[in-house]
Amino acid sequence: MAHLRRSRPAADALGRRRSLSAPAAAGSLVRILTERLGNDLHDLWTDEDTVEFQIDGSRNVDVLRTLRDDPDLDFFMLADEAAVDYGPGAHFEVVYHLYSDKHPAWVRVRARVDRSDPRIPTITNLWKGAEFHEREAYDMMGIIFEGNRDLRRIYMSPDYRSFPQRKDFVLPDDAADSAAAGVNPLERPETWDLSRFRDAPAVTFPPSSERPDAPAEGAEGGETLADKSRPR
Amino acid sequence: MPSDGNGPIIIPDAAQGDELLQQFGMEEHPQGGFHGLLEVIPTKADYVLDLIRANSLWPLLSGLSCCAIEMMSTATSVNDIDRFGMFPFRASPRQADVLIVAGTLTTKMAGPLVRLWEQMPEPKWCVAMGTCTTSGGRFKRSYSVVQGVDRVMPVDVYVPGCPPRPEGLIYGMMKLHELVKQRRGEWRTYVDRGPQRTRWEGDVR
Amino acid sequence: MTKIDPDIRIPDPIELDRIEEQRLRSVAGLTPAQAIAGGEYAGFDQVGIPDRPPQTEREREVYTLDEGEMLINMGPQHPSTHGVMRLVVKVRGEVVVDIDPVLGYLHRGIEKLCENATYTTVLTYVDPMDYLSTMHNEHAPAIAFEKLYGIRAPKRAEYIRALVVELNRVFSHGLMMGFLALDMGGLTPILYSFINRDEIVDMLSAISGQRMLFNFFRVGGVNWDTNDEFLSRLGTWRSHVMKNIEMNEWMITDNEIFRARTINMGTLSGKQAIDLGVTGPNLRASGVPFDVRKAHPYSIYNELEFDVITQESGDSYARYLQRIAEIKQSINLIDQIVDKMPHGPVQAQVPGIIRPKPGRAYGAVESPRGLYSVYAISDGGPTPYRFRMRDPSFITLQAMPVLMPGRLVADTMAIMASLDPVMGGVDK
Ligand code: SF4
Repeated sequence: MAHLRRSRPAADALGRRRSLSAPAAAGSLVRILTERLGNDLHDLWTDEDTVEFQIDGSRNVDVLRTLRDDPDLDFFMLADEAAVDYGPGAHFEVVYHLYSDKHPAWVRVRARVDRSDPRIPTITNLWKGAEFHEREAYDMMGIIFEGNRDLRRIYMSPDYRSFPQRKDFVLPDDAADSAAAGVNPLERPETWDLSRFRDAPAVTFPPSSERPDAPAEGAEGGETLADKSRPR
Repeated sequence: MPSDGNGPIIIPDAAQGDELLQQFGMEEHPQGGFHGLLEVIPTKADYVLDLIRANSLWPLLSGLSCCAIEMMSTATSVNDIDRFGMFPFRASPRQADVLIVAGTLTTKMAGPLVRLWEQMPEPKWCVAMGTCTTSGGRFKRSYSVVQGVDRVMPVDVYVPGCPPRPEGLIYGMMKLHELVKQRRGEWRTYVDRGPQRTRWEGDVR
Repeated sequence: MTKIDPDIRIPDPIELDRIEEQRLRSVAGLTPAQAIAGGEYAGFDQVGIPDRPPQTEREREVYTLDEGEMLINMGPQHPSTHGVMRLVVKVRGEVVVDIDPVLGYLHRGIEKLCENATYTTVLTYVDPMDYLSTMHNEHAPAIAFEKLYGIRAPKRAEYIRALVVELNRVFSHGLMMGFLALDMGGLTPILYSFINRDEIVDMLSAISGQRMLFNFFRVGGVNWDTNDEFLSRLGTWRSHVMKNIEMNEWMITDNEIFRARTINMGTLSGKQAIDLGVTGPNLRASGVPFDVRKAHPYSIYNELEFDVITQESGDSYARYLQRIAEIKQSINLIDQIVDKMPHGPVQAQVPGIIRPKPGRAYGAVESPRGLYSVYAISDGGPTPYRFRMRDPSFITLQAMPVLMPGRLVADTMAIMASLDPVMGGVDK
């Protein structure tokens, strides 16, 4: 094992010496946030390395623009944009994680979205890279990002009808009455014949009047499926 | 039955009591068929051709996911599947004999993969590599995964493992060689063997 | 969308065809033919224009053909798309005008499966995500779950984690060198890369028991302590790894063809890269010193000495040099980790089925492809309520429609290989 115990080569021979993390206390971050965002900020909460707060869904662009462009905040990087479903009868949430090299904490912004009319403004004007995040959230949860110029399904084929990551979509072997029960997935393989998508339902979400907080397709009588996939 | 290649040469197609063969000094063999002093052996060309084929099976360069990395590892220097005459991974299905389905088959990919399989010329063989392709494996419960590639195309050899080690794939290939030699001269039956894909609505030929 | 560079003039093949046909017709005394509508030529690889109204603005942009343009299909089965990705490429002659990646051919629903599995089982489901960086795939959920459950892994476990993670980074970047050369027609470097990779994978299988999808991390520690076979293989590997890497470098770096096809190809500025969400070596090659190991030090990275490496130019060649520099950096880190490794237990006391208190946690690691993060929500049950993964190569693919226009079709593959996406991670 002698060769494993050799002395280290100088680390700085490998690259420029440039460190990112500027020391700053989370306390100062919280103070700046309350100053700049004021009434938009609800339920502020901090963790060992995260500062988290809630906002209204309709205010997301303004809040995120402040976070990105304010020189004291400078959260220049969108680390993640996630969608969360809190189940039938509750709401969706779009969660943004941001990074700044001025503050030692991630910022987590939780924007609430109505479940019966899941619409929220897009943030692709702030970060173009949010486009794939939003397409994924649309595909998996059915959340409409207004203003996104490419809101197509990204994973499932264009004629797929359910939103698999909603909580009322139950995996096939967990409940016989789930949306996917009895459907042989091979009945609709994707082929390259794009003409058959002519009659496929448009990707737009049906109006909320027709589909008020709808359960996954295949449920009878509009009953709301409980999530049977989670043993307690 | 065709012989295993070590016993006497057996001509199963000759009719019982064939006078022409008896003229040439051929006798009935206890295992069935005829044997004798004939220097020229009348046989099917496919008997010989399939022996040759078995030793130079060219796989299609097609990997679906994680198993494909182990397939590549099998093909490169350390494990070197070249020893078995399988070096050239062909990029075109028209030039390939074996389809190694390496990786998870999703419902979206099922159509294109079957299309690849149908583009390969007969005789052709299919090897299912990994538990995903044999049964769905760890993704069996998923909403978008085909639970075993044998639901969409016939499979000759299953190689279990997640992923199988390169040695496992090589063992599967040796099994395939045996199988090709065993069934030699009978590859026409491959066309009819099941399970066959049904034609799906909207599928274009 | 970036329009094609007006300086590039390439004879339009359709126009040439048409002129030739009209000439033949006039020679034969036939009437002039009607103009061929775009997309009427039923070539083998050609994509039809969808026979339905476009669903989005962007789709209209891609599938509307100008004079002389046509749509070519690449994939999902294509030898150099790094897996099952499909690209619809709009070309004029051989110059790419626009590109539309079509994903989802490997979508396995891992997030949904994880939401139905116990916290320990989740760590097996995430393995096949980005199958070249399996250790990193397990690291981020382990960090997130430990935050949720409120425990910390013992010191030795953290060191072992850092060790295996850096080993994984070495072979992942090494394979990138090979694949990049392979996409330009050079077969030899991939053989050297795989020798290195097989050695590391065998070493990691000695410590974890599995050859590729290691499943080595546990909530609150790792599965096994180091053993003699692992250490002896590590020593052997360390004694000649630099030779292997340098051999590969020697073949690729100064190769004239390689330089001609990478320098000034696919240049991404730092600002653009941040805007597109590109992270990892691709971002650092554009000059932005963002590395999660420094930005939010996890595990034991704040105890190790290293710097964030960056390159200036942001082209394919810089991305390649960045990978090589990071391989050397990782080997240096491995030396440091082995030097400092403390004694002690490798697993905290954790029950088989853990039920964290309701809460949310975010765990991020620097995977070989960039910022890989997990956002987990617990509702007090034995399974995560929401399990979200942000995969770097998925987001990096958005750079393609920015980098490709104006390039030749053959160069799209070289540029894509320099971005190093892995489809298992892209499609989840
Ligand atoms: S069997 Fe395992 S290694 Fe192979 S594709 Fe499936 S998950 Fe990946």
